[in-house]
Amino acid sequence: MSHTTPMVEDGPTGADRLKPFVPYLLVLPGLLFVMGVLGYAVVGGIILSLNETDMFMNKTFVGLKNYIDVFADPRFQAAMLRTLSFVVISIVLGIFMSMSFALVLYKVVRGRRFFRGLSLVPYFVSGIATAVMFRFIFTTSGGFVNTVLAQLGLPAQSWLGDPTLAFVVAIMANCWFMVPFASLILLGGIQTIDKDLYDAAAIDGANPIQIFFRITLPLIKPMLGVSLIWVSYISFSTFDIVLALTSGGPLKATELVSIYMYELAFRQLNFGQGAVLMVVLLVFNTVLSLIYIKIFVMGDRRHSEAGK
Amino acid sequence: MAEGYVEYRNLRKSFGGLEILHGVDLTIPEGAFAVLVGPSGCGKSTLLRMTAGLEDVTSGEINIAGRMVNNVHAKNRGIAMVFQSYALYPHMSVEDNMSFGLKMRKTPLHLITDRIKRAAAILKLGPMLDRLPSQLSGGQRQRVAMGRALTREPEVFLFDEPLSNLDAKLRVEMRAEIKALHQRLKTTTIYVTHDQIEAMTMADLVVVMHDDRIEQVGEPLAIYDRPANLFVAEFLGSPAMNLIPGTIAQDADGRFVQTEAGLRLPLEPEANGTVGQAVVYGIRPEKPDGRGRGGRYPPGHCVGKDRAVDGQHEAAGGVLPRRRGRAAARR
Repeated sequence: MSHTTPMVEDGPTGADRLKPFVPYLLVLPGLLFVMGVLGYAVVGGIILSLNETDMFMNKTFVGLKNYIDVFADPRFQAAMLRTLSFVVISIVLGIFMSMSFALVLYKVVRGRRFFRGLSLVPYFVSGIATAVMFRFIFTTSGGFVNTVLAQLGLPAQSWLGDPTLAFVVAIMANCWFMVPFASLILLGGIQTIDKDLYDAAAIDGANPIQIFFRITLPLIKPMLGVSLIWVSYISFSTFDIVLALTSGGPLKATELVSIYMYELAFRQLNFGQGAVLMVVLLVFNTVLSLIYIKIFVMGDRRHSEAGK
Repeated sequence: MAEGYVEYRNLRKSFGGLEILHGVDLTIPEGAFAVLVGPSGCGKSTLLRMTAGLEDVTSGEINIAGRMVNNVHAKNRGIAMVFQSYALYPHMSVEDNMSFGLKMRKTPLHLITDRIKRAAAILKLGPMLDRLPSQLSGGQRQRVAMGRALTREPEVFLFDEPLSNLDAKLRVEMRAEIKALHQRLKTTTIYVTHDQIEAMTMADLVVVMHDDRIEQVGEPLAIYDRPANLFVAEFLGSPAMNLIPGTIAQDADGRFVQTEAGLRLPLEPEANGTVGQAVVYGIRPEKPDGRGRGGRYPPGHCVGKDRAVDGQHEAAGGVLPRRRGRAAARR
């Protein structure tokens, strides 16, 4: 081998050494931006919750005093329980409706795109407008629902005046807003399932209910997780719709944590306690999302690429 | 078997106003390996899916084992199907894939275990039973799909282009494996493919389809040697049959085919056709026997032990004829 051209010992060049980091470098600007905006709000909120802040924004550090005060506040406890039942009912109802819409939209062959687009309209309507629309529908005198009830010979209801009914209407308005996007996520999942699987399952003798629970549902688990995160987050954080619909009334029947937070921070100017509620909502949302991701998204990695 | 095991009587299928299967009549005897072959969109997959019960029958009849199954649900037809995509349930293990159908039928558990064991032994799936489809190779997935069909112990196996997602080598192996499986089980099989080599090598009965109807039905060699029409003649065989237009003529030695370029091609005495009739003379390209001398042989493309040569016979004005064909397909 004496005649071979001497080779330059080729160590990894600078560019080569950077290669593994390129994807991270590309994500970095976006990540920094999001972290900056989010981080500022979250860190600022946490700082606020640990201080006594007056209306001139003079801060006095008080440690966990705000937390202790808030957790001992019966109005907060009631709002928290209310929020939890609001969220649970919204999740159950919202996912049920989203799944139903997704399955129906999947079956629609002619004009599927049109209906899919149409179904998203509620999502594009602002929360305030949605609330105004629901007020119009549920107004006691001359409202749409009561007019229909009257036509059917049924007694009119005070939808927004009765504590229980107002709570129900608030949940309906919340679902109205969040279901379209959740059903779009689920529909996307259903559409990735190989149609042959349904043929195979039909030959295997599975009925439609078995096919749904044993084929469709397991295969859209990751999308179910994502839509659960969406539905829970929206329900925990819902604010504008409920505020414009009932302002938390009647008799605080719809005063959710987010509404009470607004009340504390911007009506009573108790920024410290308001910030505590923000932290509480943040913790709930984060923990729930992590649980969903663990159960639905991560646990599914192994075969998710085999969906085809 | 006088009576057909799977029978189609004047079977038609329309989508909207468009008819995509024009009156299929076909009888498949018990235990046969029937291959539906034809170009894409010829209706062969539709016919198979109608047999499986995945598509409605517009008119006509499908009989399986002497029973009219037009309105019988797919699960009750006694069929099992292997899909082109394999259609394995991605979230279930190999074992669960194979037992799903049996569980849906509430088969007793010990029977399920027995059947899975047997199918796994036949298809050498034993070590893979716990794996997910995504952890298997293409050939293994193919075998799982067949295993799932096997555990059903069906009266009829349906295969929808099962090998088209495999590479060439594996395809040849699986072809042999499917054929061996059929010889072992003797279950009536309907197999759809667009690959004429699969049809020729696997079938007891070849059904050539084209333009939503059946062109010819018969044993592979019978169809190969005596195609019923020009489509079948051209579709089967690779390289394709030489087709040379000419006219039937007669002299003292008997009838022969006179080509436009003046070539004289011999005609078997039993070939039909009258003197003066315009015909297409078909010659299979195998076995150059010297009769074609006079043409220039350009370098051909070597395909292993064979060398395919395209050339022109000076007198034929067409493809170089190298073997005396037996079929004189009518124009």
